[in-house]
Amino acid sequence: MSGSVGFGSGAPAQPDLEDLRRIIARLRARTHTLRARPAAEIRDALGRVGARFLDEADELRMRALEVLPTEAHLSVPMARTVLDGMARDWTGERLGALLRQELGDPTLLDGLAFRPGDDSASRRLEMAVGPSLCVQIVSGSVPGVGVNALLRSLSVKAPTLLKPGAGDRVLPTLFAEGLRKEDPALADALAVVYWPGGTTELEQVVLDAADVAVVYGSDETVSTLRARAPATTRVVTYHHRVGVGIVGRDAYPQVVREIARSVVLFEQRGCVCPQLIYVERGGAIPPEGFALLLAEALEALERELPGPPSTMEDASALQQLRGTAEMMAGQGGMEVHHGGQAGSWSVLFEPEPTDGPWSGPRAIRVRAVDDASLLSKLLEPLGPHLQSVGYAGLAGRAAELAEALGRVGASRVVPFGALSFPPPWWLHDGRGPLLELLRWVELEGGVR
Amino acid sequence: MNDDNHAGAFETMVEALRARLTEGNWESWSPEEFDRRARAAFEVQFEACSPYRALCERRGVTPTSVARWEDIPAVPAAAFKHFLFDSSGSDSSVDASTRALFRTSGTTEGRQSRGRHVVPRLDLYRASLVEPFRRGLLPDRASIVFLSLVPSPDEVPDSSLSFMVGAAAERLASEVVWLMGKDGGWVEHASDRVAEIRASGEPVLLLGTALSFLHLVEDGGNALSRLPEGSRIMETGGFKGVRRTVSREELYRDIEGSTGVPRARIVNEYGMTELLSQLYEPVLTEGAEAFGVHRPPPWLAVRALDPTTLAPLPDGQEGVLAFFDLANLGSVCHVLTEDVGAIEQGRVRLRGRATGAEPRGCSRAMDELMSAAGQRR
Repeated sequence: MSGSVGFGSGAPAQPDLEDLRRIIARLRARTHTLRARPAAEIRDALGRVGARFLDEADELRMRALEVLPTEAHLSVPMARTVLDGMARDWTGERLGALLRQELGDPTLLDGLAFRPGDDSASRRLEMAVGPSLCVQIVSGSVPGVGVNALLRSLSVKAPTLLKPGAGDRVLPTLFAEGLRKEDPALADALAVVYWPGGTTELEQVVLDAADVAVVYGSDETVSTLRARAPATTRVVTYHHRVGVGIVGRDAYPQVVREIARSVVLFEQRGCVCPQLIYVERGGAIPPEGFALLLAEALEALERELPGPPSTMEDASALQQLRGTAEMMAGQGGMEVHHGGQAGSWSVLFEPEPTDGPWSGPRAIRVRAVDDASLLSKLLEPLGPHLQSVGYAGLAGRAAELAEALGRVGASRVVPFGALSFPPPWWLHDGRGPLLELLRWVELEGGVR
Repeated sequence: MNDDNHAGAFETMVEALRARLTEGNWESWSPEEFDRRARAAFEVQFEACSPYRALCERRGVTPTSVARWEDIPAVPAAAFKHFLFDSSGSDSSVDASTRALFRTSGTTEGRQSRGRHVVPRLDLYRASLVEPFRRGLLPDRASIVFLSLVPSPDEVPDSSLSFMVGAAAERLASEVVWLMGKDGGWVEHASDRVAEIRASGEPVLLLGTALSFLHLVEDGGNALSRLPEGSRIMETGGFKGVRRTVSREELYRDIEGSTGVPRARIVNEYGMTELLSQLYEPVLTEGAEAFGVHRPPPWLAVRALDPTTLAPLPDGQEGVLAFFDLANLGSVCHVLTEDVGAIEQGRVRLRGRATGAEPRGCSRAMDELMSAAGQRR
């Protein structure tokens, strides 16, 4: 295998054990040179490559948009919307904001410094040290998650080996290619390689070699990989999670459009996608009426943001979902609205919680709730898997709700319009994404 | 129709159908007869089974609007997890010996709920299962020794597969040796009896699920090695609840290696809890030509449908499989499965299941979490 592993324009090649060991050795050899470079310089180089994905005339963006719909199984308009939303965070400005947000002073990555704003008598010099090798094992087909991952570890000066998700290979590969042109030395500290999840021997090699391993995946995947890592490898895990929504009494009917967008974006593949929306009773929109409005909004979005061409699997799941729902509806157990043969969306209004085959690309359940304050109790069973909560119409009650839901497990409570694309500094799974990667060193009694 | 009348009409239909299904002359079934019986069954089910009627009414279909059986709405197989379909019209408290409630093994896909199939008249099930079993597995003899890796119906009363093996054994087994308990452990003294049978040179029918064969192969399969000449195997089902899966051909090679029964004498049975009829690969009569195709009995209509429009697909084209099973008279006959396959001259070429796809993002199904949390409490 040639030395160009992971830097070609096609899909990343699957390495064998020897290739992988060579790649790891090459990355490790970059640790010192990378650490010697100012964090700001790295940030700017990464940002210049990232910005290319936003430039309509840029060849990187054009190539990405050509491949994305097929690879990630998204419609062309959806692929474009997803890329716009993701790449917005890949600029130098946004990466700079991420570094400031997490470190206060990003030069803490370059050498010892005082923490900004710390004037206490006990203040000391500190330095943040990124991993000598960071391995990012990503899963799934939400495009852009792989690039987000590599940006995080390169930003903290860690040579990075990225294994992207099966449906998210093209963007990191193109990013690596762009980086090679922009900053070859930095590009030498990045490898994008692919293997199907569960390829045990390859996973073991990278787990053994990594300083920090970041693992995305199902509960089963992350716990398996965590258990196989040596004590000296820090394992940061992001397991699968769910999103929900709450529509308060003070919501305007116009908000339904935003809610519908949050439902269709990423085709229910992400933890930012609400699967269940609670509607408060007693507002201008009764819960049943909300379900109907949402159905109309989803129908309208079929043209603006259509779903991908239907697969046998999706279409079959949809038949099972709708047929079962229609039977429950016929018996008064729920109300069902769906897009028929032309539309993949389905809205299920449940007067009482039901149990059914309700997972689908654009399936959304609506339930009534007497008051938003009851939500934390209702969502308690989801606790360790709860991520995002979209809200609307809560007037002054959002903070109170966020506190209660935060205690249950939620990490992000946001208006529906902001639900789909969290900023780079979001508290992913409730934790600072850069701080998770860092180690700190402190100097006491020293004078600089 | 009031309840008594309904129950009476149902009983009459069961009796007539039971007699018909026991007849060995499959060629005597005409499309007209199937259509007539299918529409009559629909009438009974529409009347008695309220969730099913609800689905039909939503789709604007009633017994009078149906011109051909193909117009009758199919129930999604997933709905068996959430509804009990009982079309007998009888009080469920009546004589329990004629009724059964079968459950799917239900550990797949991480879903907790198991499919349930009410069988109000077990004698109809019994009548329907013997002839296809005989044609598939004993076309050449009147009886044979059964060695069963499927636990006995006494061990697992809610398994339709165990019931089937038990009922087939009553009619077709010269002797049945139950090898496995419900916990997957080997039944005491079973291997002694197997050794005697092997020594006698008497051919056997070895029955089991794919998973039980996988375990057999992994354990070395010594107790069942070198089965007598003329032996045959029935294999059924997937690999529910296990991470490791092997291809069917790989598994069959391994089974052949452990038991000495050649590939050409290993018959796959395709069945599911939601359907009382089964399909078999007719390899014992047709040889290797029949690998991968399953033959339905004449009272089971099979179609591959476009998954979006539910329009029937031409021969050879893959779609989701729908079955209209007259043996399901007591529940619902028309079932839309999640299995993918094509129809080839009235037979099914199965590709696999349309569910259980890889997780595609960082999201996961909410119900799973809710019910898992509920179970922990």
